[in-house]
Amino acid sequence: MRYLIRRLEFFVVTLWAAVTLNFILPRLLPGGPEVALRTRFHGRINPATVKSLEVALGIHSDQNLLQQYVSYLGNMLRGDFGVSLGFYPQRVSYVIMLALPWTLGLVGTATVIAFVLGTLIGIFGAWRRGGVLDSLLPPVFVVISAFPYFWVGLLTILIFAVTLGWFPQAFGSSSEVTSEFSWPYISDVVYHSILPAFTIVLTSIGGWILTMRNNMITTLAEDYIKMARAKGLSTSRIMFQYAARNAILPNLVGFAMSLGFVISGALLVEIVFNYPGLGTFLLQAVNNEDFSLMQALFFLITFAVLLAVLAADVLTAWLDPRTRERA
Amino acid sequence: MKRPRGLLISSLAVIAVLAAACGTTSSSGGTPSKGGTLVIDNESGTLWACGFNPLNPNDASFAFGPVYEQLVYVNLLSGKQTPMLASSYKWSSDNKTLTFTIRSGVKWSDGQPFTADDVLYTFNLIKSNSALDLQSVWSVLSGVSKQGSDQVVMTFQSPSAPSFYYIAGQQPIVPQHIWSQIKDPVSENDAVPIGTGPFLVAQGGCTPQNIAYTRNPHYWQPGLPYLDKVNYPAFTDNDPANQYLATGQAQWGGQFIPNIDTYWVNKDKANRHYWFPPIQNVNLFMNLTVKPLDNKLVRQALAFGIDRGKVSKIGEYGYQPAGNQTGVVTPTFNDWYDSNQAAKYNYKFDPAKAQSLLQQAGLTKGSDGIFKDSSGKRLSFTVISISGYTDWTASLQVVADNLKQAGVEVKEQDFSHDDYFNKLFTGDFQLGYGSLSTSPGPNPFYELRNTLYSQTTAPLGQTASGDYGRFNDATTDKLIEQFTATTDSAEQHKIMKQIEGIVLEQVPVIPVTESVSWYQYDTKVFAGWPTKDDPYAAPAPWNIPDWEQVMLRVHKK
Repeated sequence: MRYLIRRLEFFVVTLWAAVTLNFILPRLLPGGPEVALRTRFHGRINPATVKSLEVALGIHSDQNLLQQYVSYLGNMLRGDFGVSLGFYPQRVSYVIMLALPWTLGLVGTATVIAFVLGTLIGIFGAWRRGGVLDSLLPPVFVVISAFPYFWVGLLTILIFAVTLGWFPQAFGSSSEVTSEFSWPYISDVVYHSILPAFTIVLTSIGGWILTMRNNMITTLAEDYIKMARAKGLSTSRIMFQYAARNAILPNLVGFAMSLGFVISGALLVEIVFNYPGLGTFLLQAVNNEDFSLMQALFFLITFAVLLAVLAADVLTAWLDPRTRERA
Repeated sequence: MKRPRGLLISSLAVIAVLAAACGTTSSSGGTPSKGGTLVIDNESGTLWACGFNPLNPNDASFAFGPVYEQLVYVNLLSGKQTPMLASSYKWSSDNKTLTFTIRSGVKWSDGQPFTADDVLYTFNLIKSNSALDLQSVWSVLSGVSKQGSDQVVMTFQSPSAPSFYYIAGQQPIVPQHIWSQIKDPVSENDAVPIGTGPFLVAQGGCTPQNIAYTRNPHYWQPGLPYLDKVNYPAFTDNDPANQYLATGQAQWGGQFIPNIDTYWVNKDKANRHYWFPPIQNVNLFMNLTVKPLDNKLVRQALAFGIDRGKVSKIGEYGYQPAGNQTGVVTPTFNDWYDSNQAAKYNYKFDPAKAQSLLQQAGLTKGSDGIFKDSSGKRLSFTVISISGYTDWTASLQVVADNLKQAGVEVKEQDFSHDDYFNKLFTGDFQLGYGSLSTSPGPNPFYELRNTLYSQTTAPLGQTASGDYGRFNDATTDKLIEQFTATTDSAEQHKIMKQIEGIVLEQVPVIPVTESVSWYQYDTKVFAGWPTKDDPYAAPAPWNIPDWEQVMLRVHKK
């Protein structure tokens, strides 16, 4: 229990530091919302208009830094991210909700699939070290994961969308299907997501296979495995309960981190497949100096990563009794 | 992966750039058949936020034109006018009062009648909410009133004929019965817009990935539009957008496509066409407060030191033509172009001439081939550009090579879009490459006024809306004011030639290439497109509000 409380303290302190950095960093950038507003109106804007727009955007340039910081902390706590400069008059939360479901759906699912599949291949590969599976899959996937993502993406589009015509080449759904909770729409979304998800899994699975396989091999050499064999336990029991349970521990934190980063989207996927997602928004927010959107996205990413790491800590504590005892 | 298209970004942001064309169809033979879904292909770099407030700079480019209309359509390429919501207009003899007769029989898309009160309401709305006055029309207007039942009278602070384009051609009119109910029009989202235009966006018609414009059953031009629907998918990057066009899924492109002939045209030679009419200069701006750029001879030397043809060919794949030193965009505005004066100055690439001009200016050539002033300072400048605009970088490499032969050193420095414009506006640069941030207009005056007029500039460190180089010439200012005060075309042409003479002599700015309206069209299914021979509208889907005219005329074959 003390272990968990320590992790929780760490979580809160890191979050506060990240949130504060998130407040300071955009203010260190050259320019600022006022400059951005003026360029948006091509200089043809009078000071009164700038003022009234600032009020509408919730920019308080007359407050001092401390006042701004306090109201910023309050807003973050309430989840109020203000109005987006680039999508004005839309609120930041609205803009994020345009893309968040797509990102979570596609990148989240693909990350989980890649992890589960990669871990399983790693387990079985290590179990029969030097077997057909082990000499084929890990090298192939490790080589593929070294390919640049956009190259793999463009290649799959060329083969499966343009030449064969099996899958659509762009978008998250068809413009002819209304977005509602219905079977035609859901199947359309799934249909559109197959190619991008396939390429994400293809390019990210190699890492999981490699680390899992190597952890597994080390674990299999441990004495307690020999002892389990000597006791005559079933193969699957040794493989999963004894070997994999221990071998997976170092990978869990990595998986948690990558789950946290899901929220930052997959910029290259979004670009190559013209898929809606947060990655594009993040890039755009930086390019547009859309401070409120930038802050909200950075906050969400930090929060998600920290939360995922915390979850991984809890999971580790549950899987590995040693962490509990040591604490 | 970044696409080289300086023009598009600035034009999109500029929102209300252009004007739109007329209602009757000119295509040959019979009434075009109705129906069909047209798909637009234009990389905007973003997902749709699904707001259609025509008075909001972010939303207007999706609402103004097909949904909300203006009083008079002014063709951006020719200046040709077509009455829209105003059936006619009249200037007073002193050019200080403009009277519009409002069209009768027009209905809003909810079936309510459109009246002169709506026009009056719109102009008063943008007066009381200056954030909505995107064209700054109230900087020239002094009042708006209704006369009789169907006339609206605009009075001007001083004669301002070119403002007609902004007031009649660039101001979308909104319905009073809807907008008077809206609490805060500045932050209004207007998700389901009610306009007078040929199309509407129904509830649920817009998703982050696509805007579906569907036929407005109440549209006032009989028989129009022909199309049932126009889809505008959101593309966040150039490559997928080009691919979508190449596979024939979209018919109307506003794209920059490298090697367009092999990539796109050759896949269906009979039906795939493009036309890139130039609309604005891409300049080398010079900060005249920086020595020795204050010397006319040095500026002339720079103008002789740039091979514009080569910049166009290498930097812009030849798609954007070379600019000329009169500042008039050709061939679009050929009837304003003074070829005699241009021939007299003959600014062709001539490094020897450039060097002799620099010597005349009292500079001496150093041992490294770069000129120096009397204090020994080398003639070396940094030129600011926008990061990611790879075509500009390629162009500037040619410019730097050229100028090196003339004995001038130029180094490029890239900034983000906003920082770059902030530097231009505040005069924090030596040389700057790019276009005016303000929209071009239906004749060369609009661009040249904002390039040269000292009233648009500001002291160093303050935001200038134009004249970034801080050029200050009383004769030019006077000519611009004379042009503003007249509605007589012959007189305007005469004044324009004098302005061109000044640009040629003083070289306040060096037009290097001309940015174009990127436009691809596929005639496999649809006809009625604007072409070089029938330039009824500026053709790109991002030419706002010209695109309405295209959406009105395009029909199934």
